[in-house]
Amino acid sequence: MNAHTPLQFGKKIGMGQAVTRTEDAQFITGAGRYTDDVKRDNALHAAVLRSPYAHAKFTIGDLDVARGMAGVHLVMTASDIEGHPGITCQAVQQQIDGTKHPVKDIPLLCADTVRHVGDAVAFVVAESIAQAQEAAEAIEVDYEMLDPAIDTEGALADDAPPVYEDRPNNIAFETEHGNSDKTAEIFANAPKVTELKLINNRLVCNYMEMRGCVAEWSDEEDRYTLTVGSQGVHGMRDAITPCLKVDKAQLRVITPDVGGGFGTKVFAYREYPLALLAAKALGRPVKWRCDRSEHFVADAHGRDNVVTMRMAMDENGRFLALDVDLIAAMGAYLHQFAPYIPTLGTTIATGVYDIPACRFHIRGVYTHTTPTDAYRGAGRPEAIYALERLVDQCARDMSMKPDEIRRLNAIPDSAFPYKTVFGRTYDTGEVTAHMDQCMKVADWDGFDTRAEESRKSGKLRGIGMSTYIEACAFAGSEPAKLELKDDGTVQLLIGTQSNGQGHKTAYAQFVAEALDLDMGSIEVRQGDTDELESGGGTGGSRSIPLGGVSVQRGSQALAEMIKEAAAEKLEASVGDLELSEGSVRIVGTDRKLTFADVAAATSETLKATGEFKQAEATYPNGTHICEVEVDEATGETQVVKYTIVDDFGATVNPILLAGQVHGGVVQSIGQCIMEETVYDDDGQLISASFMDYRMPRAEDIPDFHFETRNVPSTTNALGIKGAGEAGTIGATPCVMNAIVDAVYRSHGIEHVDMPVTPQSMWQLMSQAAKKAA
Amino acid sequence: MDKVAINLTVNGRNRQALVPPRMLLSDFIRHELELPGTHVGCEHGVCGSCNVLVDGKAVRSCLMFAVQTDGARIGTIEGMGADGSLHPIQEAFWEEHGLQCGFCTPGMLVAATELLAEKPDPSEEEIREAISGNLCRCTGYEFIIKAIRSAAQKLREGNGAAQTESA
Ligand code: FES
Ligand code: FES
Repeated sequence: MNAHTPLQFGKKIGMGQAVTRTEDAQFITGAGRYTDDVKRDNALHAAVLRSPYAHAKFTIGDLDVARGMAGVHLVMTASDIEGHPGITCQAVQQQIDGTKHPVKDIPLLCADTVRHVGDAVAFVVAESIAQAQEAAEAIEVDYEMLDPAIDTEGALADDAPPVYEDRPNNIAFETEHGNSDKTAEIFANAPKVTELKLINNRLVCNYMEMRGCVAEWSDEEDRYTLTVGSQGVHGMRDAITPCLKVDKAQLRVITPDVGGGFGTKVFAYREYPLALLAAKALGRPVKWRCDRSEHFVADAHGRDNVVTMRMAMDENGRFLALDVDLIAAMGAYLHQFAPYIPTLGTTIATGVYDIPACRFHIRGVYTHTTPTDAYRGAGRPEAIYALERLVDQCARDMSMKPDEIRRLNAIPDSAFPYKTVFGRTYDTGEVTAHMDQCMKVADWDGFDTRAEESRKSGKLRGIGMSTYIEACAFAGSEPAKLELKDDGTVQLLIGTQSNGQGHKTAYAQFVAEALDLDMGSIEVRQGDTDELESGGGTGGSRSIPLGGVSVQRGSQALAEMIKEAAAEKLEASVGDLELSEGSVRIVGTDRKLTFADVAAATSETLKATGEFKQAEATYPNGTHICEVEVDEATGETQVVKYTIVDDFGATVNPILLAGQVHGGVVQSIGQCIMEETVYDDDGQLISASFMDYRMPRAEDIPDFHFETRNVPSTTNALGIKGAGEAGTIGATPCVMNAIVDAVYRSHGIEHVDMPVTPQSMWQLMSQAAKKAA
Repeated sequence: MDKVAINLTVNGRNRQALVPPRMLLSDFIRHELELPGTHVGCEHGVCGSCNVLVDGKAVRSCLMFAVQTDGARIGTIEGMGADGSLHPIQEAFWEEHGLQCGFCTPGMLVAATELLAEKPDPSEEEIREAISGNLCRCTGYEFIIKAIRSAAQKLREGNGAAQTESA
C-alpha cells in the first residue's frame, strides 16, 4: 500500500466504501507482469503463417528451405499434428426442428482450405521472433482462390459461395424462442405495426494487451504448463486439453496480470495448443505473442448482426407483441460460445417493457470472416440496442415522446417480480422512477435551450435515452476458499479472473469487513489451476454477485473458526469474543490474541469455504440519456453530455463501479461513432490497424454524470445485480437515439446505422437535403 | 550488421550496451534493460503504451531505434518516484482510479509527466489533448483526466517533491 495510507479496518473499507485498489501499487510503478513479461530461460519464439485470402484451397510446397533457415527449430503444418482435434464450440443450440446443429470446429492448422483472412496455415518456432517470421514467409503455399461469402445477410442467398458444402445457404443453425403462434396472431390483428431493420456492426475487441502465451512441457511432471492471459484458467484448461489429447491433470494453466479481456480473452485460441505441442516436441519453452494487426484477424470479433424487428401496438401506442428476426454472423467457424451469444439476447429481448408476446428467430450464418464470439455484453447489447431503437421509432410513428411511450409500456413497479415471455424472472426494478430521475439530472426539459446554443455554432443537437435491462450473474456459483496463514494474514483463493476490474480489492473488502482486517493483510489469489481445482472464471458480470457473496460467507465462517480457536486459548466463550483490527478479543477487556497467535495455537490450519449458489440471473437496469452534436458541414458527430442512473442493486465499491460504467459506455460510443470493421468483397479486412480502425480517445469522450438508484436484488443474497457489462448495454441505443433525434429534427432522417462516421453522416444529410429539394 | 555501442542514462543510471542497429527502443528497454514496465500495444506509434521520456520529452519507444538514444537521458515508469515513494502523478492515478488493467498506465503516466512539466495548471481540454495519443480500452478516460488534474494540483502545492527529472 501507499506509505501515506494509515491502516484501515473492517467497515471503513467494507461493502459500499470507495476503497482505492490494492492492485494499483504494482501497476503504477511498472511492476505489473503480463504474459509477454514472463521470461523463461532457453525460450524459443513462435510465429503463425496466416492466410492472406478469405477463401482458398491450398497445398504446401517445399518446407526444407524454411526448416533450414537460421535459428529455425520447427515448422509445423496440419499433417504434423494429424489426429489433434481443433477447438470445439461449447454452445450447441437446439434448433426449431428439435435437432442440434452440427459444429464446424476451428482446426489447429488448416489442412487444405482456408476460410478467412488470418486463418492459420503453419506454425514456426525459432530462436527469435524475427527468425520465426522470416521462416514463415519462406514457406511456399500454393493458393487456389475461391469466391468468398462476406456479407452477413448476403451469405444466406442461394447463390452465395458456401463456407461448407453441407450447410445450405450458409446457415450454421436456426433457432426460435418465445411464443410464436401468439405473436403471429396478435400481429394479424394489430392496429399499428412499426418495423425497423438495423445493422449491429462488427467490432474488434482491441484490449490494449494483445494475446500471447508461454508454453512449457515437463518430462518429470509429465505435463504441460501454459501461461496465458485469460478470463479464467479452468475454462481455458478444459477447452485446450482435448486438442492435446491429454486429461485435465496434464495441463496447468497460469494467468498473470491481464491487460483487458472484455469477453474475448475467455477463449482458447489455436496458438495455445500449437505452442504447447511445439514445446513438448522441442523440449524447450515456446513463447508466442500476437501483434496488433494479427489481433485484428486472429481474435474473435464481436457483434455483427442484421436484425429486423416489428412491434405490434394498439391505437394508443401500447405494445402488444414483438417480432425479432436476427441474422448473426458466425464467421468461418463456430467459435467457443458463438451460437450462445445471440441466444443470450433472448433473456432480455422484451427489455423493461410489459410485452405479452414475442417471437425471436435466430439464424447463425457462416461467412468467410474471422469468427465472432462474446464481446462485452455478449448478445445483450445487441438485443437492447435493437429494442431501444425500435421503441424510439414506435414513438415517432405514434407521435409520442420517447419518455411517454416508455412510461406507457414499462413494467409497472407493482408487477415485479415479473416473468417474461422467455421465462426469465426479473426480481426487482423501478423502471419509470429511474427514467424520471435520469431526465431530471440530465435536464431533459432544458434541451431546447442547449440545442439553440449548438445551432449558433452550426451544430445539430439531439437528445436520446435508453431504458435498459440486462441479465447477468447467471445461475451458478463461485466457491471462495479462505485460509488463515501463520503470520495472521488471510489468503483467499477464487476461480474468477480479474482483467483489470479490481476484483482483488472488491473481494478483500468483504474479507476485511467480516474479519476486521486491513487490506494489506489479505491476499487474493487467482489464476492457477494448481492452486484451485475448479472455477467459473469471469464473464457475464458474475464475479462480484456470485464471488462476492461466497467470499463474504467464507470470511464469516473463518471468523467463527478464529473465535472458536481463540475461545479455548483465552478461556472465554465464543459469544464473548469479537474480532478487532487483526486480533480476537474478549469484549470489553484488553485480553486478546492476534490472528498470528491464533494460527500458532491451532494444530491444523484454519480453512473455510464459502459458496453461494444463485438460482436465477440478476437484472441490472437503468436509464442512460445523452446529447450529441452533429456538425452539419463536416458530418462529424460528438457526444457532448452523458447522464447515467443505474440500478445495480447494491454497490460494493462506488469508485470501481463508476470505472466499469465509464469504460463500458466509451466502448459503446466507439461502436456508435467510430469503430468500423470493414471487409471488402474479397474478404480482405481493410481496417486491420489502429490507423484504420478508429478507437475512442480522450478527446472523443464527454464528461459523465453517473449515479446509482439501487433497488436491491432479491435473488442475490447481498442484493447485488452485477455491473461489468451494463455500460455497454445501455449506451449504444442511447447514443444512436440521440443521433437520430438530431437529424430527424433537422432533416427528417429516421434511420442511421452504426458506426456514424463523418462520411456516412454527411452522405445521409445530403441525400435527405436532395430529397427535400 | 554490426552491433553499435551506445551510452545512455536510464532512470538516472548510466548504462552501456551493444545493440543491433535495427533494434527498437521499446525492445531494448523491455528485453535488454529488462524494464518490462514499458508496454507495447501496437508497435505502430498509435497507442502510446510504449511512451518513455527521452530528454524530458514523451516519445514512442516503438518508433525509435535504440541507437538513436546514444547520449540521451531516458526515463521509464520504473524510474518514476524516488526512494520507494510514489511520484505525485502516480499517487493521483491511484487515488482517482485512473487505471483498471494497468496496461496503458505507464504510457499515460509518461504523457502526464510531460504535460505537467510544461503546463503546471492545464485546462481539462489541454489534458484531454495531451493524452489523446494514448489509448485506454478500460477506463473511459474520465478518471485519468481527473487524476491528472489532481496531480497538477499536488505538484503545484509541492505535495511531495517532484521527480519529473529522473522519471
Ligand atoms: S506500442 Fe508504441 S505507440 Fe503503440
Ligand atoms: S487501464 Fe486497461 S487499457 Fe487503460
